Amino acid sequence: MDPSSTTALVDLVRRAQRGDEAAQREIILNYQHRVAGFVYAMTSRSDSVEDLAQQVFIKMIRALNGLQAPAQFESWLFRLARNTCIDHLRRQKLRRIFLPFAPEHEGVPEPLGAVDTEELDALRYAISQLRPQDRALLALVQEGRSHAEIAETLRTSVAAVKARLHRAREQLRLHYQSDHET
Amino acid sequence: MKPENQAWEQLFERAASLLSPNFADRVLRAARAGIDAAPSMLSQFALGAATAAICFIAVALVQARSAHQEDNRTMADWQQIAMAADDSGLPQ
Repeated sequence: MDPSSTTALVDLVRRAQRGDEAAQREIILNYQHRVAGFVYAMTSRSDSVEDLAQQVFIKMIRALNGLQAPAQFESWLFRLARNTCIDHLRRQKLRRIFLPFAPEHEGVPEPLGAVDTEELDALRYAISQLRPQDRALLALVQEGRSHAEIAETLRTSVAAVKARLHRAREQLRLHYQSDHET
Repeated sequence: MKPENQAWEQLFERAASLLSPNFADRVLRAARAGIDAAPSMLSQFALGAATAAICFIAVALVQARSAHQEDNRTMADWQQIAMAADDSGLPQ
């Protein structure tokens, strides 16, 4: 991020921390599509996207005062998004133990009028086969974040990010190709 | 461009289309109204444990009260028998 945009972001975050609703709204507008993309990558379910994205931003507003370094806002926001999605996936898993769906009801149909391409279908399937931690990693990379930024978001080392990313990409390719070829 | 990369682009485009036009306003309204995000797993387990504890205590109290009432009835019955024995002059 270039210094001028970092300064503008810091200023925006500080205003939002002081309760300025216009600043909070601007932050949501700036990041809503990126967060929605991240959530969709994590869950592979279109019915979860708006609800979870809303949860992420509500948590953001509530926790914003605790952010000591506004310059780290993006890493902090995507960490929040990641944790929200992982919590959601864990709850889904627990729910399935007590209320199992029949296999034919497990998938969620896409909204009426939405026609998925084969590639998107294959990607959604491939992502759904990965662990949540690996989904988060791939989603952050697709988001355009550097290894250093991802390491900061996930609170790990750059070396660990590179190693995990390599494995995650291998796994994704395997599942993507196996679905795409069927 | 690899097919996967195209698929990722489509995924992000699809996700953006899933948000309602007034998404930001809805978020701010919900945040103002204090509508909670989904409770955490820990808070849900804590709620379940607290509910189970309350149920257990309630059952134990009802059981203790019922047993006490039964004891009182039994004691009253024996007292009647003892009085009847007194009246008839039977040895105690």
